[in-house]
Amino acid sequence: MTALWFFRPLFQRHAARLAWTLLLSVVTLAAGIALLAVSGWFLTAAALTTAAASFNLFGPSSLIRGLSFIRILSRYGEKVFGHDATLRLLADLRGWLFASLFPRVPLADRSLRHGDLVSRLTADVDALDTVFLVAIGPMLAALVLGSAMATALWVFIPAAGLTYAVLVGLAILAVPVVLILASRRMGMELVEASAAARIAVLDGIDGHADLIAFGETGQARASFAASAARLATARRRLGMAGTLAAAATQALAGAAMVSVLWFGIATVHAGTIGGPSLAGLLLGTIASFEATGAVVRGVARLGVSAAAAARLKAIATAKPMVNDPARPEPLPNGDVCFESVVFGHDPRRPVLRGLDLCVKQGSRVAIIGPSGSGKSTALALLLRLYDPQAGTVSIGGADIRTVAQRDLHEKVSLLSQDSPVVLGTIRENLLIGRADASDAALWHALASARLADFVRGLPEGLNAFVGETGRTLSVGQARRLCLARTLLSQAEILAFDEPTSGLDREAELAFLADLYTATAGRTVILATHAALPLGAADHIFRMVDGRLETA
Amino acid sequence: MQQTDSTQVDAIRDQGRWMMRLWRHARAPVVVAITLPLISGLLLVAQAYLLASVLHRAIVEGASPHTLLTPVLCIAGLLAVRIGLAIVAERCGILAAERIKFFLRSASHATLLDHRPDWTAARSSGALSSAIIDQIESLDGFLVRFLPAMAQAAILPLAFAVMVLPVDWVVGLLFLVTAPMIPLFMALVGWGAEAASQAQAAAFTRLSGLFADRLRAIVTLKLFGRAESETRSVMAASEGLRLRTLAVLKIAFLSSAVLEFFAALGVAGVALYVGLTLLGFVDLRLSVLTLQAGLFCLLMAPEVYQPLRLLAAHYHDRAAAKAAVAELARQFDGLPESAGPQAILKPTSDTHSAAPIAVDMERVSLHTPDSRRLVIDSTSLLVPAGRHVALVGESGIGKSTLLEAVARMRAFEGTIRLDGQDTADVAEPELRTRVAFLGQRPRLFHGTIAENIKLGCRSAGDAEVHEAARRAAVLPFATQLPDGLDTLIGEGGIGLSGGEAHRVALARIFLRDPGLVLLDEPTAHLDAETESQVLDALMAFAAGRTMIVATHSAAVADRMDSVYRIVGAKVLSGPHVRAARPAVALRSVA
Repeated sequence: MTALWFFRPLFQRHAARLAWTLLLSVVTLAAGIALLAVSGWFLTAAALTTAAASFNLFGPSSLIRGLSFIRILSRYGEKVFGHDATLRLLADLRGWLFASLFPRVPLADRSLRHGDLVSRLTADVDALDTVFLVAIGPMLAALVLGSAMATALWVFIPAAGLTYAVLVGLAILAVPVVLILASRRMGMELVEASAAARIAVLDGIDGHADLIAFGETGQARASFAASAARLATARRRLGMAGTLAAAATQALAGAAMVSVLWFGIATVHAGTIGGPSLAGLLLGTIASFEATGAVVRGVARLGVSAAAAARLKAIATAKPMVNDPARPEPLPNGDVCFESVVFGHDPRRPVLRGLDLCVKQGSRVAIIGPSGSGKSTALALLLRLYDPQAGTVSIGGADIRTVAQRDLHEKVSLLSQDSPVVLGTIRENLLIGRADASDAALWHALASARLADFVRGLPEGLNAFVGETGRTLSVGQARRLCLARTLLSQAEILAFDEPTSGLDREAELAFLADLYTATAGRTVILATHAALPLGAADHIFRMVDGRLETA
Repeated sequence: MQQTDSTQVDAIRDQGRWMMRLWRHARAPVVVAITLPLISGLLLVAQAYLLASVLHRAIVEGASPHTLLTPVLCIAGLLAVRIGLAIVAERCGILAAERIKFFLRSASHATLLDHRPDWTAARSSGALSSAIIDQIESLDGFLVRFLPAMAQAAILPLAFAVMVLPVDWVVGLLFLVTAPMIPLFMALVGWGAEAASQAQAAAFTRLSGLFADRLRAIVTLKLFGRAESETRSVMAASEGLRLRTLAVLKIAFLSSAVLEFFAALGVAGVALYVGLTLLGFVDLRLSVLTLQAGLFCLLMAPEVYQPLRLLAAHYHDRAAAKAAVAELARQFDGLPESAGPQAILKPTSDTHSAAPIAVDMERVSLHTPDSRRLVIDSTSLLVPAGRHVALVGESGIGKSTLLEAVARMRAFEGTIRLDGQDTADVAEPELRTRVAFLGQRPRLFHGTIAENIKLGCRSAGDAEVHEAARRAAVLPFATQLPDGLDTLIGEGGIGLSGGEAHRVALARIFLRDPGLVLLDEPTAHLDAETESQVLDALMAFAAGRTMIVATHSAAVADRMDSVYRIVGAKVLSGPHVRAARPAVALRSVA
């Protein structure tokens, strides 16, 4: 529940809309209670009256009509307001979550998986947005109306007022609390089971070719069936808890109704109140259970929401791997230097063991070495995706830990090994590199990456749509699109991690030869296992045991 | 245009029928979940009658509480029984829904796996997983609540009206006339809600796809300084979803307002009519109306509309379910009817499997997944049994595509025969046993390195896995890891470099005993030294087997018996003479 409290500021932003929703729902419910109560009173009074002519017909009949229309209008308003506020909240939550993710990637928790993340961003946010609408709002409304009804009963039938207050209080407060406590674990299990099932599906999709090639689809089916069964069990348990709680509420409400009836009969018999009052109060009591019933239905989902909130909070408050300095220094131009850099994702197993490298401004340096030797890691450190465990990385003499990450990312552009093609057009993919690039610049970058002819051949050209992870492109084409994107950026330092991995040898050689002109005036650091043609780099170093040697 | 409209209507009708057939997957619980609330409804009439009679006796006849104890206890008893019925009914409803959803999820997942990989490749993984997890979940409300509510709405208002009829024919008639009007109005309003609801479901799926995609790219987007603009675009997409959803809901709420109107009209009408009759202003009855009869009518008035109100509250569930079903049908090109046959486990040992296989491609044409571009144009190629062949050519020219077609991983035109048998006719388990395939983007699953290698053969022992790891040059880096081959690696091989992940996937091949080996860039990401080690192991493995390798690497091409170059959508006929191969000529430059 504390995790829900964490999201309070987001709810506060929509406080006015939520307050209107609450007010309208109270009006709706109150009109319903009044409608039945007035009707019951009117009917009984009419039956008992002996002088029909003197009976004030106008008051009750117009009240009955008025209350009906109030109820219709306020119910509609309540629903529209409530859902509008909820959906705004949903958009805010998604945006906020996305924004809080950016400084925290790559996530320190390397076990957090892609399917899990997607699940968090969509399903968990959805579970959270309905908290007010289906759980908190109805509970507040039921409290307001329950108190009003108990007071009214107290005035006319004190004993019934007291029992009603206790029984309905139990139904509104105790039953939900017990349900929340009992279903918290179930809610967490449900969210986890749902995420696990999603991961199982994504595994099947992303690894489809491998599963088929190795005749492993039966195994994949079985493991998905297990996760789907787990999900079903979790849902069934949670559903049952909700059912029992709803039954408890109904039982308490029924007891309250019977107690009002019983004490009411005694009061009428004693002559303290009239028959019409009893009929009105009893029918009002029955109508008031509309509010009580809604509470449990909402609370059943509160457990799921709380679990979702806890998971969202965990991401949003995860400690970033790197932090901006309190007072960022300006980032000068100049040489890129690694000094005695030590780093390993597992600090006990450093990949870089005292790396030294100095790249003069405007020069081109290649780092070669077997895959896994630490080339990619060194480039990641230059972008400050991680901070070294010892030593410093500096640009123009300024330790990159003393400058703003935004400045650093503007100055240094990286083509990483797993650089993705995003869902969208070729143009949208390129514009990630430089948002204001002209078409001419886009074509120039495509030409440098040797992709221009291909794009020109597409019916929609730059506006051709490329699917998720670029699956409508070949691996090599996707790679070249990412390369073009990097070339397009205006960064003064370009870091390439295996830029030619999707190219054949001819294209590779041509690309490396072109790189000299394509990157004229910029500092280039190239990590590759490709054999380099002459003149592709000013200096070539080899990564050996986490250090660089001149090759 | 009319044609498409009518087929669309047909599709929607079929989907509706399909939904109504779902209950057959959980007959007994569905019947219980539908019947018990009806019984409870009848008990409600008795309860209201008793309550009215108690009030009548207390108010009009001045009965003492003592004499009313029995009927009051009866009311309490009826309440208790109805609560018990509700528990059992809901439990059965949930049970049925979970059974049906489980069936649908398993069936959809099976459908997905039964497709060729090019089918999944052409779709968004976020949208597909959302269909199986979220859209099927959207059926929950329909199954648990809408179906019982529909039965109640169809039967109870009429039953109540008929039971009120002997007490007061005017009120009974009022109920009889207004109640059937409501579904009519609701149907009118429901149509609009449904159309908008489908648009919303599609928007939700697109949004899921967008999230999945942007999350995949989040580090790159961060490094290009796109954090703010991407956050904005996510917000804009969510805002779009809000507007669309709200449009749906505004219409959907109209239907509940219509109902609310009729319910209020019913209560107010009964109250006024009964009141006026009691006062003697209206006289449509033969006998005198008692307070008991009047109160009974008033108590029943909200209850007549309650089943309809319940149905309206869950009408959205039905619309959501229909939209979800439409989305499911769209994602999977149809709806699952049965779970399909369980994939047959492949035979563990097949003496024939190791024999080399001749591959005969005849006039094979291939398109890109979106069928827009012709990649390979009516090309024929014969690879004799036991021959080792390299496919070379520019990136994107169609090497991988051709290899995938041979592995029956994508659609193609023409014929591919393995040992003279059309691949289309080979049983799946047999094909997979005899043909080993390593794609360009092999996937590592969440698990240990050893488990990932064992994908090649589940029954492989530790020694065999170790040997496979050695041959694929996995050991040099695996032994550096804290737990060796038992080190846990993430999905997509997080924690391993690209080359390392590729070698783990390659090791799977060594656990198999195929007659045909199809490899796509087996040495990608490898430095020259490791490449030659891996090649040695591969060549030793491929002895006595047919092997086709798509490659950029001159070192790989050099070791093959023949090299075919793909140029301009054609595989150049006949093996090239090595000396004439540009790949070799270029190698000297390096």
